[in-house]
Amino acid sequence: MATTQDIEDLIARVALGDRAAFSALYDATSAKLFGVVLRVLADRASAEDVVQDAYMKIWRHAGRYSANGLSPMTWMITIARNTAIDRLRQTRPGVALDDVADHLTAPGPNPEQSAVAAGEARRIAACLDALDSDKGAAVRGAYLEGQSYADLAERFKVPLNTMRTWLRRSLQSLQECMAR
Amino acid sequence: MSDASPDTPRDDDSLLAAEYVLRLLDPAEEAAVAARIAREPALAEEVAGWTTRLSGLDAEVPEVAPGAAVKTALLRRLFGQPARLPFWQRAGLWQGISLASLAVAGFFAFQSLEQFAPPAPAPLFVSEIVAEDQSLRLLAVYDSGAAELRLTRTAGTAAAGRVLELWAIAGEAAPVSLGVLPEGETVALPLPEALRGAVAGLVLAVSDEPPGGSPTGAPTGAVLAVGQVSAL
Repeated sequence: MATTQDIEDLIARVALGDRAAFSALYDATSAKLFGVVLRVLADRASAEDVVQDAYMKIWRHAGRYSANGLSPMTWMITIARNTAIDRLRQTRPGVALDDVADHLTAPGPNPEQSAVAAGEARRIAACLDALDSDKGAAVRGAYLEGQSYADLAERFKVPLNTMRTWLRRSLQSLQECMAR
Repeated sequence: MSDASPDTPRDDDSLLAAEYVLRLLDPAEEAAVAARIAREPALAEEVAGWTTRLSGLDAEVPEVAPGAAVKTALLRRLFGQPARLPFWQRAGLWQGISLASLAVAGFFAFQSLEQFAPPAPAPLFVSEIVAEDQSLRLLAVYDSGAAELRLTRTAGTAAAGRVLELWAIAGEAAPVSLGVLPEGETVALPLPEALRGAVAGLVLAVSDEPPGGSPTGAPTGAVLAVGQVSAL
């Protein structure tokens, strides 16, 4: 099992164009990234295609991953998840993921904020479970399955605006719970 | 920490950042937030903060290994060819070698040795170097007494204007050329001293090369056939 430090080192070498490091990075992380992508797409063939796209972005953007406040796994999972959601919504014009990845690596949070957020991350499951079960399920549906407001409104059979209000309130409760 | 009032701009931006990270916004809203992130470090921090907070849910996703072909395809897309695999693994030929074919090889080894030379007391090793589609087959016998590899080609020839070059690979080491195969059916090639101690388990491979053999000292053309050496 590769440690966070191992993965950071590999990303640093990948940024220098080290193909062996890229191969090792893939070996160490692809099962996680593929799991994330598969959860969103629920189709193995498109997930295999998308996970390749994600690693191509990781290869290209590795130079911009450096102490951006995200853990290396979070950075890579974010790229994989966004690539999967882009594929899911392929028919819609959206923001190019390259932009998203760039922005995430631009002016990251300071280390203290990162540490606070990392501590909060450990509480998210408990805090979601403390919400009404539908609300917790809606946040999980958005994050894990890439469901949009429209998808969630349909799933929970509520109007779109109601869904939006509902989810924003859930996120707020979540933030308060995690910050506690 | 901020108070919980939903009306302060800070909290509003925090929720907007959460919606952005969750990909809940429609494309126009998403583009607007992306443009603001580039200009507003405070919003960028909110986005990074939510990215980290929500990453706690990543633990709920089970790991699933993608098929081996995914990595091969990825490396090919990025680098133009499968990278960093020993070339004989790249050829993917190996798995076709059955125990039966080794037994047959062993039988022929005795036969041909008897034709070549009186039986040697030194250990013998054999290998059948064979193409996946059987279009090229060579039988190799190594007599450790003579430190010589004797090859008999039973099927296949080099392409017009090309030659066949024989390589030996010990473990993870780079292939070592044993020489270009002459056109005749049999040939005896000396095995470099460095390889003599590790004959069992050595991999032999034949590649397609320009006349005179590989100009680089490493295989440059397609790997046509592969075989593993075993003690007889």
